Amino acid sequence: MKKSLKGFVSVIILSMILSACALDSSSQKESSAPAKKGNTESTSVKSTGVKEYKATNLAALPEKAKARKDMFIAGISAPGGVFLPYFYENGWDGNATDPIFAPLVNLDKGGKPVGILAEKWEVSDDQLTYTFHLKKGLKFSDGSPLTADDVAFTLTLLHDPAYAGYQDISLAAIKGGKEYKEGKAKKIEGIKVIDKETIEITTEKVNAKSLLLLGGQVLSKAYYGKDYQYGKLDYLKDLYPKPLGAGPYKFVKYVPGQEIRYEANENYYAGKPKTKNLIFKVIDTSTSLQLFETGELDYAGFSADDDTVEQLKSLGFANIQVGPVNDFGFIYVNNSRPQFKDKEVRQALIYGLDRQKIVDVKFKGYGEVANVPVSKVSWAYDDEGINKYEFNAKKAKELLEKAGWKVGKDGIREKDGKQFVIRYLTRTAEDPIIPIAKENYEDIGIKFEPEIMDFNALVAKLNDKDYDLAAVSTSQILDPSDPVEEFATNNPNNAAGYSNPKVDELIQKGLNTLDIEKRKGIYHDLYKELNENPPVILIHYRQSARAISGQIQGLNPDNYTGISASLPNISIKK
Amino acid sequence: MKQYVLQRFLQMIVILFGTSFIIFFLFAMLPGDYIDSNINLTPQRARELKALYGLDQPVLHRYFTWLGNALQGDFGYSLKHQEKVLSLLNKYVWNSFFVAIFALLLTWSIALVTGVISAIKQYSWFDGLVTFFVFGAMSFPSFFISLLFIKWFGVDLQILPIGGMIDTGSDSTGLAYLLEVGKHMILPVIILTLLSIGSLTRYFRTGMLEVIRQDYIRTARAKGLKERVVIFKHALKNAILPAITLLAFELPGLFSGAIIMEQIFNWPGVGRIQLESVSFRDYPVLMAFTMFLSCLTIIGNFLADVTYAAVDPRIRLK
Repeated sequence: MKKSLKGFVSVIILSMILSACALDSSSQKESSAPAKKGNTESTSVKSTGVKEYKATNLAALPEKAKARKDMFIAGISAPGGVFLPYFYENGWDGNATDPIFAPLVNLDKGGKPVGILAEKWEVSDDQLTYTFHLKKGLKFSDGSPLTADDVAFTLTLLHDPAYAGYQDISLAAIKGGKEYKEGKAKKIEGIKVIDKETIEITTEKVNAKSLLLLGGQVLSKAYYGKDYQYGKLDYLKDLYPKPLGAGPYKFVKYVPGQEIRYEANENYYAGKPKTKNLIFKVIDTSTSLQLFETGELDYAGFSADDDTVEQLKSLGFANIQVGPVNDFGFIYVNNSRPQFKDKEVRQALIYGLDRQKIVDVKFKGYGEVANVPVSKVSWAYDDEGINKYEFNAKKAKELLEKAGWKVGKDGIREKDGKQFVIRYLTRTAEDPIIPIAKENYEDIGIKFEPEIMDFNALVAKLNDKDYDLAAVSTSQILDPSDPVEEFATNNPNNAAGYSNPKVDELIQKGLNTLDIEKRKGIYHDLYKELNENPPVILIHYRQSARAISGQIQGLNPDNYTGISASLPNISIKK
Repeated sequence: MKQYVLQRFLQMIVILFGTSFIIFFLFAMLPGDYIDSNINLTPQRARELKALYGLDQPVLHRYFTWLGNALQGDFGYSLKHQEKVLSLLNKYVWNSFFVAIFALLLTWSIALVTGVISAIKQYSWFDGLVTFFVFGAMSFPSFFISLLFIKWFGVDLQILPIGGMIDTGSDSTGLAYLLEVGKHMILPVIILTLLSIGSLTRYFRTGMLEVIRQDYIRTARAKGLKERVVIFKHALKNAILPAITLLAFELPGLFSGAIIMEQIFNWPGVGRIQLESVSFRDYPVLMAFTMFLSCLTIIGNFLADVTYAAVDPRIRLK
């Protein structure tokens, strides 16, 4: 009895092992093919420009979506309920307030300023005085008039000493702003209301970003200024859940954690939007595809990968756009540490890292290597004359030798008795940079030690310059000066500890003029210098996929405002 | 008994103060604070903001400020959500509570019945099937089961909603609202039940098995009592005793929110608020919520001891 049992069991085990091997080998075969695909396609069309896939079968629209004739539903991740521009702490509240509050000036698809509430504006020859001319007959959604007084009130509010929000209006350097904030003046000298539709603002420093700072979303003086007292802004907290603005939609209701409801604003300057109801539904990225599939959402964004795009295409009723995102990813290098002071060493770190591989693993064909510190959709992007730093371990080794780092025992380079060790900070153990950098850097003689910590701790260490290398990506880039400003020697946010007088000069020049053509040239020179003497290791540009329900017309998501710019033009095909 | 209750009550107060002290200091020791998480601020602006929020004071000073306010019922202002902590938590904690309590009722009833029957019919078909199913449910990661059910019931069959607490754009009130919420609650409650049913069934089963082997059960059978009376009157009562302790400890779990489930189902619960407050170092929310859960744990512990003594005449409380 026992003998036959043993035999039986061994046969079972043997067959299991054999079948497992067979499974393994077949899966291995399958996995090698897609990997290759990723490698070749990363240099093809997929990674540049916008690809559009039109809806092929509107009849496939889910019932839920077909039944909606005057409602548009988009997804939002996690609003906090603070519906007041300048005062919210959560980026999603910004998305939530965009339909309600209109600014004087905004950015168009190409990142250039366009007038929203402002009909036109003039800048004086010395580039210090801005005169905004408002459109005629502007009203807030409750019918009350919007005038230059409201603009003056908004800007004055931002100078209040009790203002604790994210907007730093001092960057615009309005004349008399500092005195007002310190309590030495009763009003701000540089803000002059000429008449109901004209306001003149005088600044003390030329700054290419001042136009957007001064022309931000307008708050109603009658509504938000009713109980205003200098230095006491607590009363505003009661108004957070009850916003009033001049945007295309007015606020109806917020169901906490679930959705925000809006209704078309009949007093909108460009006319009442065609779609009466708007809902921002709170979603989680893990189910956003399902929600779009079943018609619960009309618009959703996804990180781009083959599976998602294929599935969206297979639905038939979706218009899909796959395009570049307005940010880039990079690795901070701590220039203040002795081993990173030589530019040869930093160049070696870039030559010695297979960035193409990192991009392929992370974005599977929907990303590309970055060599210019600005996104590809910016008007300032120009890679003419830029060294692409293609992966070249030999060149990296040469540069390190030249910089005095000789290979010591156990293969690690040494200089002045110290070994070359890199401590790399990152937020997640799944960071593809970890295995790739470890292999590449150890090959060129540098010891690589990853350290995983949460975001706040990482930022704290960056600010204290307590790191060697750290992985980050930029936020949305509204002006090309944004991502490079921190490389100026005296910039307080210079976490890289970089100092280069030529770069300092070019950064200043870039902000000293409002002429976009001139700025383009300046930034090109700046990029060439930053390319030759790199402060950080640039890694990636990435793409995202956007899906719009086939029955929605007029929606044109762009890289600077998302769906906000075309929101008033949405209509639903009957 | 009264003396015991009083003694325990005073102990609890001391423990609560101690807990609040430890929690505050632990969180304060984490590198980085709320202002640090915004990398776009100039250091000058960051200093201004820290002063405005009182974050530049020494830790001990901040603790006593917090304590003084808390004793007056003011748990402060959420830095991230810019509203009073109590009202913020109140908005979300009840949503978590209702899902948790339904899941609790369901779990306990099912686990009790299946555990007891498994024990009585040990090694039978029923026992084997239940064990298999229960271990299976316990082994699946929660996000996997959630997404799978969403796919089956939400996308393929389209009989249950994919997420959220109410239908998009719905204005229903009264009974219609309750029914709507109930429909949305079905999947979250089922998932939570599936995940906790495993351990509880095994627990009841083991407890029951132990009791059945006792001498007094043999005596009861020898006396000629009906099997039903033996099991449900004598055995069950004894087997359930340790479960009372478990039940009391479920109390904090009712309010702490199921973080993963809430995220996947977009259930507006308190789990996400809690997680966010840790990553953003939102001290007021962290302190208030952690203190709340500590309170519930301590109270739960206390209730467990008292009920156990009340139910089991063999226990004498000191």
